[in-house]
Amino acid sequence: MKIDRNNILTILAILVFFLFVWWGSNHLTAYAVRVWEDTLIFLMLSAGYNLINGVTGQFSLEPNGFVAIGAYVTAILILTPAQKESMFIIEPMVPWLANLHMSFLPALIIGGIVTAFVGFLLGFPVFRVRGDYLAIVTLGFGLTIRVVSNNTITITNGSLGLKGLPTYTNIWWCAVWAVIAMIVIMRIVDSAFGRAMKAVRDDEDAAIAMGINTLWIKQIAFVTAAFFEGVGGGLLASLITIISPTVFTFFLTFELLIIIVVGGLGSMTGTALATVVVVWGSELLRVVEQPMNIFGLHIPGIPGMRMVVFSILLIIMMIFAREGIMGQKEFSWDWIFNKIKGKRA
Amino acid sequence: MDLTIILQQLVNGVSLGSLYGLVAIGYTMVYGVIRLINFAHGDIMMVGMYFAFTGIAMMFLPWWAAFLLSMLASALVGVIVDRVAYKPLRNASRISALITAIGVSFFLENSFLVIYGGVPKAFPIPSVFNGAINIHSVIFPNIAIITPIVAIVFLLILLFILHKTKYGMAMRALSFDIDTVRIMGINVDLVISLVFALGSFLAALGGIFWAMRYPAINPLIGIMPGLKAFAAAVLGGIGSVTGAALGGFIIGVTEILVVALFPALAGYKDAFAFLFLIFVLLFKPTGILGEDLERGRF
Amino acid sequence: MSEVILKCDKLTMRFGGLTAVRDFSIEIKEHMIFGLIGPNGAGKTTAFNMITGNLTPTEGKIHFYGQDITGLKPYKIVSLGMARTFQNIRLFSNLSVLGNVLTGFHHKLKYNLIDAILRTPRFYKYENEMKEAGMALLESVRLADKADFKASELPYGERRKVEIARALATGPKLLLLDEPAAGMNPQETLDLMYFIREIKDKFNLTVFLIEHDMKFVMNLCETIAVLDHGVKIAEGKPEEIRTNPDVIKAYLGDINA
Repeated sequence: MKIDRNNILTILAILVFFLFVWWGSNHLTAYAVRVWEDTLIFLMLSAGYNLINGVTGQFSLEPNGFVAIGAYVTAILILTPAQKESMFIIEPMVPWLANLHMSFLPALIIGGIVTAFVGFLLGFPVFRVRGDYLAIVTLGFGLTIRVVSNNTITITNGSLGLKGLPTYTNIWWCAVWAVIAMIVIMRIVDSAFGRAMKAVRDDEDAAIAMGINTLWIKQIAFVTAAFFEGVGGGLLASLITIISPTVFTFFLTFELLIIIVVGGLGSMTGTALATVVVVWGSELLRVVEQPMNIFGLHIPGIPGMRMVVFSILLIIMMIFAREGIMGQKEFSWDWIFNKIKGKRA
Repeated sequence: MDLTIILQQLVNGVSLGSLYGLVAIGYTMVYGVIRLINFAHGDIMMVGMYFAFTGIAMMFLPWWAAFLLSMLASALVGVIVDRVAYKPLRNASRISALITAIGVSFFLENSFLVIYGGVPKAFPIPSVFNGAINIHSVIFPNIAIITPIVAIVFLLILLFILHKTKYGMAMRALSFDIDTVRIMGINVDLVISLVFALGSFLAALGGIFWAMRYPAINPLIGIMPGLKAFAAAVLGGIGSVTGAALGGFIIGVTEILVVALFPALAGYKDAFAFLFLIFVLLFKPTGILGEDLERGRF
Repeated sequence: MSEVILKCDKLTMRFGGLTAVRDFSIEIKEHMIFGLIGPNGAGKTTAFNMITGNLTPTEGKIHFYGQDITGLKPYKIVSLGMARTFQNIRLFSNLSVLGNVLTGFHHKLKYNLIDAILRTPRFYKYENEMKEAGMALLESVRLADKADFKASELPYGERRKVEIARALATGPKLLLLDEPAAGMNPQETLDLMYFIREIKDKFNLTVFLIEHDMKFVMNLCETIAVLDHGVKIAEGKPEEIRTNPDVIKAYLGDINA
């Protein structure tokens, strides 16, 4: 049975992955663990982003807004009432939020659900436009979230932000959520819903002519992405422990965009590969921004240089290698076995 | 609120709006000829500011020479951006081109961050633009009066170019039908370069006046006005130059007046343009003066 | 006497000041092949788009099996049993041939998102059921051996057949074909003619097509309506249309122009 074989292999792969996480959490340096935590959170964020941008073909620029919502909701829920009282010095927090306190898991899930709900509401106006207009309108959403979080002082503490968040996020939280996100998203892609999403991407009018409610299909992709970006935001919040309106900027969206372009728009396994390459590449490139001493010669750090490299990389990718690592293809067990047997994939 | 203040705010709004308008023209023209939202256009504004800053504060040029050189150099940057990054993607999907444009935007911002550092620079304002005039005991800053005049003069020059010169007419024709223009024996790539040059020239002009209005410049300064100018271009009807100018005025005046009339909303002023944009796209996607360029997609 | 399944009553479509179609009325009976012809720009596609719901007519009513479908969303009309193809074949180019056909089943999908995420028995049952039905459909149009090909890899004539198969997957009673023979050579056109007759009988269909190619329509359709400048100028059997002076004038005018 083909399906059984694939399932067993997938379960094995996940076990190997968790084995690596277990090994890593004991043997890797704190720095390496931290970068892996980033990698796994970014994997979840970019998988969601690729579902809407790559699979469904709705090029949008909202993830930083979604991540911010998830981060704020989770942060507000995991901070203790005492912490909140001491932090809100401009204006006190609205009472029903000030006294709300819960553990990490429900806080993350609520963060995801709230973000998904915002995504759902946002979907109705924004999906009335297509193409590059959609990009600009969703970009505006990310920006609006920043403006709103700056001004709703009794909820978000305004520009002061929220500090001293409990550090619940560790590599296990990130790993489990990343695996859940990948499984859920890949299963959606590999179902009638995924086919409908790809149909919308390839030719929306033809998809409508097939009886597909395309708004609904876009909403499924968008809300799923929003949920995981919200949860990812919650994980990030507890990882960095300080959030403010300026933390989740368009720069975050840009990084995710690079990841999904490098991995291949529409390919989840490509996204996974690209996340590792981009996040670790970005860490290695940190060198160029730090001051160095080579044989007594002092080279000052160059802030911004990493982004120059990244933006050039993105432009070059778009001009010469638009398909990314995987194109729209997925790495799959069948594909491997067919390769081994030398059959047509 | 008394009439004087409203009048002052109105002049202020028109002045701000004319800056949005100058930048919006570039968006609208580029979109007209190659159907691309030039994400990096707002950053060309920033490039113009830094070039002018360099000219005045580091090369000690007279202000007018620094301004002119900055605008010409920015035009060149616009042309190079198009040739290097956008031209190879003319036949690719529009989304590929848009992603590239986002890449160019980040490239410009961060290269200027690398070159000039992240600390804001004080833009040296030439004395002509300082000071204020007093009309019937109402005080207007010089810059608020000069800005719209300059904007309108350049708009008229642009309209003259578009309607009376061969290449200007080719630019307009290009918005409708690339092939016809090609058959007419006009070098399409040259025309597109000219569009980028003109758009970037005006964006730099807008940037310089922006810097004299808000004289602390940094490499990310172009993002916000750039986005608002884009909203203005859509509001005016993308593809229409006069529409872009008009859209700019509307967004500028609204922004200033809303803040003046409802100070509680001041914190939200950067979100207005987007609400405008979403509103326009939902109810009148063709804008005020535009034609439905999206129709061709059906 | 068979039942009237599609009835257009005085459909008018205006774009701004321009009237694309005026007072367009037709009745299509079950199991017939109905052709709508006319010179370029006569408003054929506009008439089509009103029926499929892509355009909402400015005036007039459309009834499908007695139900008023005027202004319904296109995807709703599909679920009532009307499917269409496009003039310039519009397949989902990155999906396989089978994948294309499967999208046609989507509107009657029997599992939900939760089933897909949790991979419930229901998911496997209906997913397999759909794949079998899709293969059976490809079998019946003799494309089963191409099921795993990317749609964009097929030659033109076969792409047209895939597009028709995809439309059949939605389970239509009425199939609308927008210039099916466009871009085909005479042999492909002939094949297509037999193909349309064959699927009409096999799937118990009523076919409504618009076409530019006179010969194709004359040989295939039982009733033909002619549109010129947005107005129906004739309707009848092929031989009546062939000799109708208004039709000849409209087409000759087209040639002279």
